[in-house]
Amino acid sequence: MAAGEVFKTASLMKELMTRYNETGKEAKDSGIPVAWVTAVSPVEIIYAAGLFPYYPENFGAVAAARKVADKLSAFAEARGYARDLCGYARCGIGDAYATEHPVGEILSPDLLFCCNTQCGSLPKWFEVAGRFYNVPYFLLDAPRVGLETDQLCNSYYVEQLHEMIAFIEKLTGNPFDYDRLSEVLALSNEACRLWNEILETAALKPAPFGFFDASFHMAPIVTLRGTREAVDYYRALKEEIDERIEQGITAIPDERYKIYFDHIPCWPRLRWFSDLFASHGALVAVSQYTHSWAYSFDLERPLESLAENYTHEFVNRCFDYRVERKINLMEKYGVDGFVLFSNRSCKPNAIGLYAKSKLIREKTGLPGVVFEADMSDLRFFSEAQVLAKLESFFEQLK
Amino acid sequence: MNLSELTAPFEKALTEPGEQVRQWKAKQGGRAVGFLMTDVPEELIHAAGFFPYGIAGGNAEMEAADAHLQPWICSYARNCLALALGGKLDFLDGLIVPQNCDTTRMFSDLLNHIRPFPYMDIFRMPRQVGRSSAGSYLIGEMERLKYGLEQYAGKPIDHSDLRSSIALYNRNRELLRRIADIHAQNPNLISSRDLYTLINGSMIMPREEVGELLTAIREVLEGLTGSGNAGNQVRLLLSGTLLEPLEILDLIDQCGGTVIGDDFQNGFRYIESDVAIKDDLLDALAERQLNRIPSSAFDIEHRQRRYYLTEVAEDKNASGVIFLHLGFCEPENFDSYDNLQAMKRAGIPAIRIETQFGRSTLGQIRTRIQAFMEMVGGDDSGCR
Repeated sequence: MAAGEVFKTASLMKELMTRYNETGKEAKDSGIPVAWVTAVSPVEIIYAAGLFPYYPENFGAVAAARKVADKLSAFAEARGYARDLCGYARCGIGDAYATEHPVGEILSPDLLFCCNTQCGSLPKWFEVAGRFYNVPYFLLDAPRVGLETDQLCNSYYVEQLHEMIAFIEKLTGNPFDYDRLSEVLALSNEACRLWNEILETAALKPAPFGFFDASFHMAPIVTLRGTREAVDYYRALKEEIDERIEQGITAIPDERYKIYFDHIPCWPRLRWFSDLFASHGALVAVSQYTHSWAYSFDLERPLESLAENYTHEFVNRCFDYRVERKINLMEKYGVDGFVLFSNRSCKPNAIGLYAKSKLIREKTGLPGVVFEADMSDLRFFSEAQVLAKLESFFEQLK
Repeated sequence: MNLSELTAPFEKALTEPGEQVRQWKAKQGGRAVGFLMTDVPEELIHAAGFFPYGIAGGNAEMEAADAHLQPWICSYARNCLALALGGKLDFLDGLIVPQNCDTTRMFSDLLNHIRPFPYMDIFRMPRQVGRSSAGSYLIGEMERLKYGLEQYAGKPIDHSDLRSSIALYNRNRELLRRIADIHAQNPNLISSRDLYTLINGSMIMPREEVGELLTAIREVLEGLTGSGNAGNQVRLLLSGTLLEPLEILDLIDQCGGTVIGDDFQNGFRYIESDVAIKDDLLDALAERQLNRIPSSAFDIEHRQRRYYLTEVAEDKNASGVIFLHLGFCEPENFDSYDNLQAMKRAGIPAIRIETQFGRSTLGQIRTRIQAFMEMVGGDDSGCR
């Protein structure tokens, strides 16, 4: 078998995600409330409460990967939403107003749960959705955390989880089932453990799996975290990777370098990036992005543990923590250089990226580059400019 | 003293930013702590003995910031960074950045790396205010901020100092609100431009002096209220993140318009409410923060911004609303369409005009304001 061959598990994922979307529609038809949620938020509460969690960010990523972000965005732009807004949000708002739905219709919510650890774009998008769909909106507010553990933030978050549970109880009329929460948390723990074992195989030289594979296989850890399906999926993927290790099948043909990549992939050009790096013998091995879903919950103290995990994730941390986190991952995976994507859709990640790049170069001595683009919208992608930046980066690896 | 003599120090403060701080330092010694607009509980800065200085932008070589901030980052942050890099904030010893959007959330650390101030802190205001968790958290955050200021001051902020600072700030806000009322009733007595000069100047002058001047201004204006013509200007409500540049007010005044309200951070949001004087002063500061008027920083379920704006427009009998939309302000942009729709449904004419710190084109803004004034029935004969 050749390097870079498609994983058998990939077809399983397509089935899984199709089933997930169908379940959402069925939930809607059978009166189970559809709750919009955000990627780094305690979805375990939603699963435990028997609601259906839907990820509009995932809708945005799918639209981006299918290269229709600009088409959907046009419906939002026609109403005055600017192009510099988050691309996922423009896809979601655009689809709500759209007359054509090139990736199917975004599932309309019955209620909205947003956690603002990732950014301020999500709560603003959810506010817009709250007005558009006329449904209740609940914000889980996470003040930004610095280098140290932040007890004030944890306590605030725990108090809000109690408020969130009371909000759900009132909505459903059912008492919240903490035993069920324990089961969901255990499933989340197991999926996260498997996911991180999978990610860690990228440290092998040569590696069977890299960042672009992870970008392809990450949908279940985001959307189905807390379910049996996610655990089964990553177990199957891990087995397949183990087989590949035995058989000597690698992610790219001639791995000479390992690269660190920030952050979200440029979805509509995922294949282009993947081929470009592979053609230089460079495996993109690691990114803080795919490592975000590395939660470990303490079942004895579920709410406190949810608070600690979600508020102290890197997306909610300060500049210095993010730099440390990147450098730790670079060291752990033994990378030869780093590529930082200044993603105009993602301000928290992009602001200060040039200063971070300089600092990382000084601290590690590694070559690195920052390029400008958008994770979803090709109108902000200049192939010539990105290529020029990356080619000069590859030169430095030699 | 007449009115123009009394308003002159505010104009001077705005044209010579930092000069007042330098004079204050030379006269009595001490340190100055700046803050970005505008939710920082600056009574704490004042009570710690520092000169509180509100940064609402200024003249700077914007290019200095371009190496650090992508072109699509909001121009307020770019302007603040350019001011800092250009040495135009060197009179400050410290800086507090409130985290009210993604840009401010990441900006303080960036500044800390490329142009640090001896004292720097953030103010992490809660982004939901409708549930009880917000209150307990906010008091904790106030305590943290207070402790940091005390460490930098080298002395505790005692209850009586904080109480006096709050009383002084309450007094200044009350005076500004009273002057704004007089302006709304009779714009001929004090122009829109002068009103906002007072508000913006009051953020960068010694607050004790602000109080004395505003008291005198109020007295002069109250003596005039009975006299003169109440004016027939077209009453306009403005809305946005920040009012910039202030020259826009001249355009409005010249076109026969007058500003009767706004929700800018460097406008009504700065003066709209007071802090209760009670035993637990941090609780009182928190209470004010939780009850502020809506802004784009977050939606308040029980007090949604678009309804707040339509109510103000109706209560104050506005003929139209001008949204001054700071370019690349993401929170503002998410609100914009629904705000405009709400105005439409309420039958209130509205336009959106984009502004940029240091890069606004006044000619274009003038044309848009003229066209809008014609639409809402203003006399454009003065719009030249």
